[in-house]
Amino acid sequence: MKILVIEDEHTLRANIIEYLMAEGNVCDQAKTFAEAAQKTALYSYDCILLDLTLPDGDGLTLLADLKKMERKDGVIIITARNSVDQRIEGLSLGADDYLIKPFHLSELSARIMAVIRRRTFNGSDVVVFNELAIDVQAKEVKVNGKDISLTRKEFDLLVYFVANKAKVISKSAAVTHIWGDHADMADSFDFIYTHIKNLRKKLVDAGCKDYFHSVYGVGYKFAE
Amino acid sequence: MMRLFTTYNRALLTISIIGLLIIGYLFYNTLSQYLNKQIDNYLVEELLEVKDYARNKTNYPAHVVFEDLVIEYHKISKQHIKRHFGDTVFFNPKKGHKESGRFLEEDLALGGKDYNVKIIASKIAHADQAQSIFLVIILPVLGLLVVILLVNRYMTKNIWLPFRQILANLKSFNLNHGGNYQKVDTSIVEFKELNDAIVDISQRVKSDYKEIKLFTENASHEMMTPIAVINSKLDMMLQSNNLSEEESKNLIDLYSATSKLTKLNQSLLLLVKIDNNLLKDKEEVNLKKLIEEKLAYFQEFIQQKNINIKLDSQDKELLMSRYLADILLDNLIGNAIRHNKIDGSINIELNAKKLAISNTSEADALDPSVAFERFYKSPSSEGMGLGLAIVKQTAELHQFKIVYSHEHNLHSFCLIF
Repeated sequence: MKILVIEDEHTLRANIIEYLMAEGNVCDQAKTFAEAAQKTALYSYDCILLDLTLPDGDGLTLLADLKKMERKDGVIIITARNSVDQRIEGLSLGADDYLIKPFHLSELSARIMAVIRRRTFNGSDVVVFNELAIDVQAKEVKVNGKDISLTRKEFDLLVYFVANKAKVISKSAAVTHIWGDHADMADSFDFIYTHIKNLRKKLVDAGCKDYFHSVYGVGYKFAE
Repeated sequence: MMRLFTTYNRALLTISIIGLLIIGYLFYNTLSQYLNKQIDNYLVEELLEVKDYARNKTNYPAHVVFEDLVIEYHKISKQHIKRHFGDTVFFNPKKGHKESGRFLEEDLALGGKDYNVKIIASKIAHADQAQSIFLVIILPVLGLLVVILLVNRYMTKNIWLPFRQILANLKSFNLNHGGNYQKVDTSIVEFKELNDAIVDISQRVKSDYKEIKLFTENASHEMMTPIAVINSKLDMMLQSNNLSEEESKNLIDLYSATSKLTKLNQSLLLLVKIDNNLLKDKEEVNLKKLIEEKLAYFQEFIQQKNINIKLDSQDKELLMSRYLADILLDNLIGNAIRHNKIDGSINIELNAKKLAISNTSEADALDPSVAFERFYKSPSSEGMGLGLAIVKQTAELHQFKIVYSHEHNLHSFCLIF
């Protein structure tokens, strides 16, 4: 996938690109509004990550310009401003998603995959990984064509891990993904453990290979 | 405590009455002395007439009685009284009653014999005159005083009107609710100055306050990007294939610290937003449904502590920001779970008037006077102490009341709509 990262903070931009490239994506970068305008004019992308506060302009203007040109590129706004109004404005201008800093790279990656999936596969939204088939729209999981039933949270976790194949996802990121902003409950890390344990058991029982690997208590990796 | 113009009026009234009494007394005295002098002159004239009369006649002079004048002759053996004047009360035979009068008494030789002559003149006519003069002068003065007092009363009431208005506006001035201090129009220089000074101060306070809030907002926003960098760095480090156990532990701690920092920042930003009333998306929120959603959302935590939930809810809709309603319930229900004990219980009661959430806990009662303060937390709490502050701000923004109480080992928070 071809992704444009528009972000003026150098380190963050570099980390995002490194993470996404390791997943096999092609990344382009822009650190100013002018640079971003130039790149979007020349090339099209599967997904554009758009920081709203750029040194020389407002990201929302760029978004409006893209939509005026009827571009089909997916756009995810990444911003430090958690403003309801801006969020609504961004989404109504045609952004596909809105991610507030700070975020986990695994979360960003999952959102990008979701946006690209929605844009590429019209209607049917099925992620296949070996014997696993996940219908994200219908919220159904099949192992070797056989339905298995997962709770809502288990399903969300599975989609999240599959979107970050071969990456270690920290428990912190997993908790945030499931419980959102309110992930500060004392024992939330234990629940991630419980959920993943249950998820693993259900998958293995259905004949799926155990793709989950624990990483020193920090997190988990979903890999071959 | 006395009102300014009551104090002023009281002093004015006291001084006026005392002054009036003194002036009245002096005036009356002078007037009567002046009148006495007039009567005395008249008496002397009468005496001269008596002498004239006696020179021509040699017979015994008879008592003379006129309407206002009585002349008495008493035979005496020897003259010894010199002429003198005085006040007296005498029987007026013409009128048939006693009245006050002025007399002149002198021993005289009339027709070769010695007589004591006493001439008494009635004071009545003069007293009437004196009274009229007195009244003509005093009554208008009294009237003037009453008019002055009334005018004074009316004026002070009117003159102080802008002051009262300034006071009322000052009382209704509230930094948090964004309203401006309402300027009062007045033509009185002192009040104008006071007004201008207050306008000036209120604007300065407002701008300072705004700046502080803006500072908090900007500081929190500016912190988000570095935190995002830290977070992304941690995520990258995590991908390293040869993490030692030591490094993993460090990563866990760093993740937890970063997420705390993020949460702190988000809470501060949220408080600023509530303060500034920036969350204006009002809609009808079905509280009953939202509570049920929250209980489902927290179900793992509830199950883990084996908490018994007693839910007694009626349909209740509130017109408020959905986002804030969400956070309000997250905080209240989250707290009730977080601070609960194993096998504890939570009672949730929702009706048209209030939402009451009470829970068992091993923690002691909170101090109700500071429980909702920013950064206050009970010793056992692991939070940052902003959750209840957010609850309170949210409640205040929507004109609800939030009350904490601790009874029968139950911590309860009651939100009164």
